[in-house]
Amino acid sequence: MSSATAPGAGQAEAESQRRSWSKSRERSASPQRAEYERRGDRKSGSSAEISGNTDEYWLDAQERRSPSPIDRNAGLSSNDQSDRGSHDEDGMDHDGEERISEREESLDNSSTPVPSVETRAKPERLNYKEKFVLRGHLRGVSAVQFSPDCSMIASGGADAAVKVWDTSSGRLIYTFEGHLAGISTIAWSPDGQWIASGSDDKTIRFWNVNTGRAHTKIFEGHHNYVYQIAFAPKGNILVSGSYDEAVFVWDVRRARVMRSLPAHSDPVAGIDVVHDGTLIVSCALDGLVRVWDTHSGQCLKTLVHEDNPPATCVKFSPNGKYILAWTLDGCVRMWNYVESRVIKTFQGHVNKKYSLSGCFGDYGFHSSDADAAKRDPPLAFAVSGSEDGAILCWDIISKSVLQRIEGHTDVVLGVHTGKYNGKRLIVSCGLDKTVRVWEEEEEEEEEREERDDAVEDPKANGISLSAAHDSAPITGQALAPVDVIDNEAIADPDDGDNEMVDIPSEAASTTETTLARAEDVEMT
Amino acid sequence: MNLSLVDPFVLAQDYPDTLTEKLRSGHATCLRFNHTGDYLASGRVDGTVVIFDIETNGVARKLQGHTRQIQSLSWSRDGRYLLTSSQDWKCILWDLRDGSRVRTVRFEAPVYIAELHPFNHLLFVASLFEDQPVLVDISTSKTVKRIIPSAPLRAHSANGNEIDPATAAKQAAQDAKHSTCVTIFTAFGNHIIAGTSKGWINIIETETCKTIHSTRLCNGVVILARLAKNGRDLLINSSDRVIRTVLMPDLSQLGVAFECSAIKLQVEHKFQDVVNRLSWNHVTFSSTGEFVTATTFMNPDIYVWERSHGSLVKILEGPKEELGVVEWHPSRPMVVACGLESGCIYIWSIISPQKWSALAPDFGEVEENVEYVEREDEFDVHPADQVHQRRLDLEDEEPDVVTLDRVEDIIDVNQSGAFGVPVLLDISDSESEEDIIAVGPGTMRRRGSGDGDTDRDIKAGATGATRGSGRSRRR
Repeated sequence: MSSATAPGAGQAEAESQRRSWSKSRERSASPQRAEYERRGDRKSGSSAEISGNTDEYWLDAQERRSPSPIDRNAGLSSNDQSDRGSHDEDGMDHDGEERISEREESLDNSSTPVPSVETRAKPERLNYKEKFVLRGHLRGVSAVQFSPDCSMIASGGADAAVKVWDTSSGRLIYTFEGHLAGISTIAWSPDGQWIASGSDDKTIRFWNVNTGRAHTKIFEGHHNYVYQIAFAPKGNILVSGSYDEAVFVWDVRRARVMRSLPAHSDPVAGIDVVHDGTLIVSCALDGLVRVWDTHSGQCLKTLVHEDNPPATCVKFSPNGKYILAWTLDGCVRMWNYVESRVIKTFQGHVNKKYSLSGCFGDYGFHSSDADAAKRDPPLAFAVSGSEDGAILCWDIISKSVLQRIEGHTDVVLGVHTGKYNGKRLIVSCGLDKTVRVWEEEEEEEEEREERDDAVEDPKANGISLSAAHDSAPITGQALAPVDVIDNEAIADPDDGDNEMVDIPSEAASTTETTLARAEDVEMT
Repeated sequence: MNLSLVDPFVLAQDYPDTLTEKLRSGHATCLRFNHTGDYLASGRVDGTVVIFDIETNGVARKLQGHTRQIQSLSWSRDGRYLLTSSQDWKCILWDLRDGSRVRTVRFEAPVYIAELHPFNHLLFVASLFEDQPVLVDISTSKTVKRIIPSAPLRAHSANGNEIDPATAAKQAAQDAKHSTCVTIFTAFGNHIIAGTSKGWINIIETETCKTIHSTRLCNGVVILARLAKNGRDLLINSSDRVIRTVLMPDLSQLGVAFECSAIKLQVEHKFQDVVNRLSWNHVTFSSTGEFVTATTFMNPDIYVWERSHGSLVKILEGPKEELGVVEWHPSRPMVVACGLESGCIYIWSIISPQKWSALAPDFGEVEENVEYVEREDEFDVHPADQVHQRRLDLEDEEPDVVTLDRVEDIIDVNQSGAFGVPVLLDISDSESEEDIIAVGPGTMRRRGSGDGDTDRDIKAGATGATRGSGRSRRR
């Protein structure tokens, strides 16, 4: 697994890789491959020979076997899977060749994205519309996340409760209570069975979504508020960053700290694990972003921006080549961490005080649009909350704001993207105690211009704010009905929502500190 | 993803040097990594199989079904199934998704080694104690066993010439003495490589169960055979105290490029300790096949030889006890071995030093003093917003944040379907690892009052009964 070829040198490297790949392909395809290789080549040559051949066997065999239950970034890898599907239908003979050409194509794309002639124009803006407003939390909601299959949404907030919602209907499924103080962060385990939540009571707790019960073991060890947690892709490791300035790597099975990383000299605010689990990134209010080797626990890289603004959140890009870092100077920066360079700075949101978070998303053609998806460089956006109640989506390449989603009435703290039933979704949460689900609406070609006018109209935005409550259409166009779900009314008999009112006063005071994290720093 | 950041000197090191970890769950006698190297299966004296997660060094699953010491372990290609063989005359195929038994096969004798077909987890080959080896098809609930011949292929019998009845009788008598000790599949599974008690290597066609080639490598018993990852290098440990590496012909070309009669097994290296006359408990190839590793009889050392020159490059030390099974991680420079007395699993790997320049971004590591030459405009003062704007204007790259690196995919092709053992959160509740504590060499005591099961291991470990059974094959 080598990574990130430098964009400059990428071309040449890609060339040579492609050449060696196709060479080994040819060799394995030709019948006279029996000639024995000298030892020097053995590592590359002959092992590739075996793997090259067994490949085809393997792909066939794979059909019979059931896939792994952990299907992470399902939306993003679906592209790959559709590729594979087409291989299986192909004859064995040109299977190899075709794959080379495809690889070449994609290698070219990854180094220099050349827009292909036949593709449709790249969409200029996104069109997410409010689908649900989920009410139920009694205080500000600090974290929200889709389950790995996006069928559920988990949210956690200052009321010390984790709530699980159904994505398709917006119903409240569970309320998990047990934390003694406000929750700053939640994470779904990659198999979708567990939700982990990190709280101001210094613990991380696990909740089982299948049984609705809490895990008997509590992850104790941090000396101060748990700020952010993230799962490794296999689900066997959990990483947590805390106000006590340490990063803990937990063995999930034993609920024990495996390793403590001497991470930072200020509270650790953000943490993330790369898609293959080999790297951890952490950031702290001291402004440093550090990249760690999961296996050895060593710091491999430190990123710092000149002005040293407190960093509050970090996220790896879906392919793990870049890091998105939120800082309190109102910028979201995308780093090429191998070269220690900022390559994009996204601005336009307000971020002075709170730990906002966000993530990556894709837009444009759905992967069912196989032809277009293959030719085009994939379109991606970065999304973040803002302290003025908006959600901003930036195009990764142009840095322009693709959509400014209005609706929240207070600071938007957490945003997450997902895809469910072929629809792209965004879920957001904030200090206005709500969780909101936004759904992308497909635009028809002829409607687009009309729509452009509508969105640019400042009044329309203003209306949409209240429109959510009135469940009235924004403009003349037909919209999906906007449901306002009052879950306090639906309230499950088992989990008494009303009991939640009596939060210990002490806890209440600490939750204030979670949400106004940055303030603390300014004070100290 | 981490390769571009890791110190290249650390990456360049191919074999481990330090004892870094000790795993313990009962008395382990048998180890095997899965093909991706994420999990390590360990078979215990009491018949329990424990799957360790290599990333966390924790127990990922426990499989209970055997009643006696585990003899061998074999992973399916995707890592979902595990075949275990035991001295209780059984082989069990486990599904690691839920820890259930897919098939249980009973034999008429204890099993030495059972190995799964590389592509078909419902077919395996087993060599039995004082019995004929069998090819077992478990694709249906009714097990089909086919006996594999042990007798070597006689060169002249193929000629069709008249054979002297006296010689024939003598040969038949000799053939009857052959018993197969080791059976493994070739890389594609079309052939079986069998090692006999008389030092012969037989190559047997899987489909027909017919011996197509035989070579006498040595006079001793063939104890263990292993194929390197490339499928062409064969490692043979025999009781004559010599470890041999053998170059195999490409058997998939059989009948295309050459005929059965042209098969020739060519010994490449013989590793032995001429001075101490050490014999070897267990041998294995390194991940790339460049190194050969062996544990020594009556000695706590692990020898590492390099294959290009055939020289000894390292002796791994650490534990105070004799080591049994040794295994090499399929991708990392990491060696695991289990102690015969305590049943501990020892792990050797590389400890990479922290690079200090990684912690402070504005520092770099230099070999010697460098005179700093300041840039012309280095200390020029510009208004902050101007600097900011200029920076923003410079950000004109077109990064692709979604597409996975293709290079990575090439390596991962085989792994893409790799199965991950489900993460069970209540796994270690059943039995704590610190149950047994060592009170002296070879003596263990249970912490607190115990049940009968664990007591049995302790006794077995203490009296060396387990070691005896492992060695009986050699004699």
